[in-house]
Amino acid sequence: MSRYVSYRDFDWLLIIFVLMLCGLGVMEIRSATVHTKFAGAHIKQLYWIGGGLMGMFLISLLNYQALLDKVHWMYIAAIASLMSVMVFGQKYLGARRWIKMPGGQHFQPSEWVKLILILAVAKYFADLHHRELSWSDFIKAGAMVGVPMLMVLAQPDLGTALTYIPIAIMGLFLGGVRAKQALAVLLLAGLIMPLAWHKLKPYQKDRLISFMEPEADKQGSGYQVIQSKIAVGSGGIWGGTGTQTHLSYLPVPQTDFIFAAFAEEHGFVGALGVLLLYFIVLMRLTQNAQTAPDRAGTFVVMGVVAVLSFHILVNVGMVVGFMPVTGIPLPLMSYGGSSVLFMFLALGMVMNVRMRRFVN
Amino acid sequence: MATPRSRANHRLYILGGLLLLWLCVICLRLVYLQIFRYGDFQQRADHQQQRSINVSAKRGIIFDRQGNELAMSIMVDSAFAVPSEVPDLPNAISLITRITGEDARFVLADCRAHKTFCWVARKANAETIERIRALNLQGIHFQKESKRFYPKRELAAQVLGYVGTDDGGLSGIERGYDEQLRGQPGRMQISVDARKKWFARIEKEPEAGDNLVLTIDEKIQYIAERELEQAIKDTHAIAGTVIVENPRTGEILALANRPTFNPNIKKQIKNEALKNRAVSDVYEPGSTFKLVTISGALEERITRPEEVFDCQMGSIVINGMRIRDSKPHGLLTVSDVLAESSDVGAIKIALRLGEDRFYKYIRAFGFGQQTGIELPGETRGLTKPVNRWSKVSIGAISMGQEIGVSPIQLAAMVSTFANDGVWEAPRIVATTTPPSIIPQTFVFRPEHERRVISAITAAQMRQMMRGVVLHGTGRKAVLEGYTAAGKTGTAQKVDPATGGYSRTKYVGSFAGFAPINNPAVTVAVILDSAVGLHQGGQVAAPVFQRVTQQVLEYLHVPHDMQLPPNRQVWLAQNKVKDSDLDESSPDHLGSSLEVADVGPLDSAPRVAAVPQQAPKPSAAQGGVVPAALRAKETAPQAPSAVSLPANITDPAKSASNETVVLDVEQGGIEVPSFIGKSVRNALELAEDSGLELNLVGSGIAREQSPAPGSHVTSGSRVVVKFGR
Repeated sequence: MSRYVSYRDFDWLLIIFVLMLCGLGVMEIRSATVHTKFAGAHIKQLYWIGGGLMGMFLISLLNYQALLDKVHWMYIAAIASLMSVMVFGQKYLGARRWIKMPGGQHFQPSEWVKLILILAVAKYFADLHHRELSWSDFIKAGAMVGVPMLMVLAQPDLGTALTYIPIAIMGLFLGGVRAKQALAVLLLAGLIMPLAWHKLKPYQKDRLISFMEPEADKQGSGYQVIQSKIAVGSGGIWGGTGTQTHLSYLPVPQTDFIFAAFAEEHGFVGALGVLLLYFIVLMRLTQNAQTAPDRAGTFVVMGVVAVLSFHILVNVGMVVGFMPVTGIPLPLMSYGGSSVLFMFLALGMVMNVRMRRFVN
Repeated sequence: MATPRSRANHRLYILGGLLLLWLCVICLRLVYLQIFRYGDFQQRADHQQQRSINVSAKRGIIFDRQGNELAMSIMVDSAFAVPSEVPDLPNAISLITRITGEDARFVLADCRAHKTFCWVARKANAETIERIRALNLQGIHFQKESKRFYPKRELAAQVLGYVGTDDGGLSGIERGYDEQLRGQPGRMQISVDARKKWFARIEKEPEAGDNLVLTIDEKIQYIAERELEQAIKDTHAIAGTVIVENPRTGEILALANRPTFNPNIKKQIKNEALKNRAVSDVYEPGSTFKLVTISGALEERITRPEEVFDCQMGSIVINGMRIRDSKPHGLLTVSDVLAESSDVGAIKIALRLGEDRFYKYIRAFGFGQQTGIELPGETRGLTKPVNRWSKVSIGAISMGQEIGVSPIQLAAMVSTFANDGVWEAPRIVATTTPPSIIPQTFVFRPEHERRVISAITAAQMRQMMRGVVLHGTGRKAVLEGYTAAGKTGTAQKVDPATGGYSRTKYVGSFAGFAPINNPAVTVAVILDSAVGLHQGGQVAAPVFQRVTQQVLEYLHVPHDMQLPPNRQVWLAQNKVKDSDLDESSPDHLGSSLEVADVGPLDSAPRVAAVPQQAPKPSAAQGGVVPAALRAKETAPQAPSAVSLPANITDPAKSASNETVVLDVEQGGIEVPSFIGKSVRNALELAEDSGLELNLVGSGIAREQSPAPGSHVTSGSRVVVKFGR
């Protein structure tokens, strides 16, 4: 199984589009934070992007098949790190999500757990050569994602926990889930929903209510949705001065609401451009999944596509008022080290698969 | 191996399709938000983020012809709230309105409507602002604004008008020339961020308005105001108007109305006082209109001043209707018809003139149309075209009934005789200048003029009008040292209740000019509903005399008659009984007055020769000016206008016969202390002392320069700083 590996096979086109999105993100972070206490965040973001690129190259050097062989160890490590967060984690804003590293940096394990889950799910489904999934496969796959998800939910971090779901769904979908099984999942979800409602924190309930009726409580829970819509709407076709962003009406414009800030400053034209860039990136990734050397490779790439598209879908949906406020950042553009690092590492895995697409 | 792989591929396409679908949905949403509802959201963003407010520009100054400020703008404080910053808005507003005395509900409603900005106390005096400042309320801020201030208070109030809180002109010149005076307001943008912090930014600097120079002369205006005030007191008339005009150019030198108002105190202004009667009142002129009748006939050469008319002992039948004169006259020359104001004589002359020609002269003298004076609300008066005249109209109009005129039209008509037969449009605005330039001189060019009668006819009319003053109904208009000409008028007011003529209410008027050979001023006096004596010759002519006398002296018009030592003029005038002055009174004192008529004389040396013991008229008859000239003679180094303010103000101050002779040689007048006085009191004191004030700020006087007790020349400026 000797393979020819070369950086010539690196997906440079994809990198260009990704870096364009990152560049737009950095610009917008600068504009949104220039007069606030977060001023200079765009420089930090550049460092993260640089670090992410290095990580991407490093990861692409490792053979993903070798990684998949050791994925059960990695899975155990992931569970252990989540447990350590529960024990040693730094409590911040009512949630225990971070571990303080010796360098003074805060590390959020739930982000890289995503990466391991992608690999684990890929390995699991690639190893099943059945034409159709059995109920036991179905439940096992569910549990594999469900356990870490529940642990993250307990932190509590609903937003990140939700991002694990598309990994499972993508695996099941490509792995050949049957209509009956899909129906069963939907039914189960329907049953859990009312139960889950009681488990939600009051602020989460408010977010959901305000998503349905944003004008009911303009100054309270509906505030973010309304301000976001005002920001997007006042951008017009060509964009404006960005007063919603600069006068701090828009909440966290450099992270979760960066798309609103961008749409306000660059209007419909700018927003459409960004969406097209994301679409190109996703299509390119899907193409890489098709050209993967084996089933496991396809699953790895599509796992990344699943997480990426889920983020974009929920974040942009939230900004334009289609989705409730969940605290899911916009990948590649939002400010934040963990988010940036995860995206580049995930892309590194895609590159890893792509570079080994020519089976000798 | 192919099947699962192709199924996976198949499912990848499904995923790609779903992503594309999602992209389309988001795009549609963006189209909806950013294109269809762009306006909505833009408005919502602006509403919560900012409010831009006008910063009023400094309003232009209104000067009189000498460069004295009649209306000016000073900077005062206003307080405003940023409601989103105020923790307890209703409480804060109620505290402030308790100081300002405004209605808390209105202010609160305004503040609730605007989250970013609302005025709570505009252009308040220093004390109010200080008390609001002392409350130390969060979210209440202060801003300098310009406030209109009329340093001369009631002086020419109806001419100037006044402004509202927003500095918009509401009447008079302030309204008519609002656009020029107002300037371009600046804009201030107030932005509020989500943490309720606000910051203001001047978006556009205000551009000051143009200055305006009126043809009014402050001193002449003051004379007119004071004499009108006195006349209103004496005659208990309900209203009155005095117009002083330069007949050569049409420039209005003074225009006074009663009742009047103080434009600085807006709350006390009554509509009745706002009315500029000189231009907006329509009244039946009565006998003054005979000037039109007779001058028209003379111009058409259908009569001569010496022609004798039979006045038929006061009764005439025209077109089957009998008109009765108030006094019976026998044979009268045309001159005497005017002097005695015979109605029958005027009717006979009008009948000879004929309706069409008569109407032509009525129009030519400017009746039935606006004179074009630069004041808002000018009336055209009421004139009917000939085809709507009744059979007796020509008779009624010939003596000033069945026709409505305004005082300014009357003044313009009389000025035509003074101006050698050329009708000149009255003007009150001399020029406008950019804000940086303080006007020094201006050249006046007549613009709207037309010849109505020949110079010869005008000269004949002047002589005849002089007869009115010398031996006719206008004898109370005789001047000291000047020839004068004019015509009395007394018209019954139309009683609104009956629709007929009132038996108790009259409009008495006198319009004339002086001196007759080279007229310097036209003065028209109209008194409405005088109680008791009401004839024009009884009530209006004395006002004409007092105003004209002082104005001519002030203008240094050379005397054209010998001044008394020969006291016959005064004696003659004082002997006249008011009963003698009824219109159409048959007897006259002409012969005794002829003595005084020795023709034009070089005035100055004679003035100087007047003995100091020369009898002075009572204060009611006006501050006689020879004293001023005497002061000038004895102190030739003093500026020519020096003693005038003091002299002019003096008679108003007291009813005594004293004349203040300013001792210019001994170091001028002593500066009184203004410290502790209000602006108003300081201005009064300054006016009494003959000083000019430079006012800085408002409130109570704090500092002054020069210091109290120092000596300055009369008319000097004293800088007084007000504050609290």
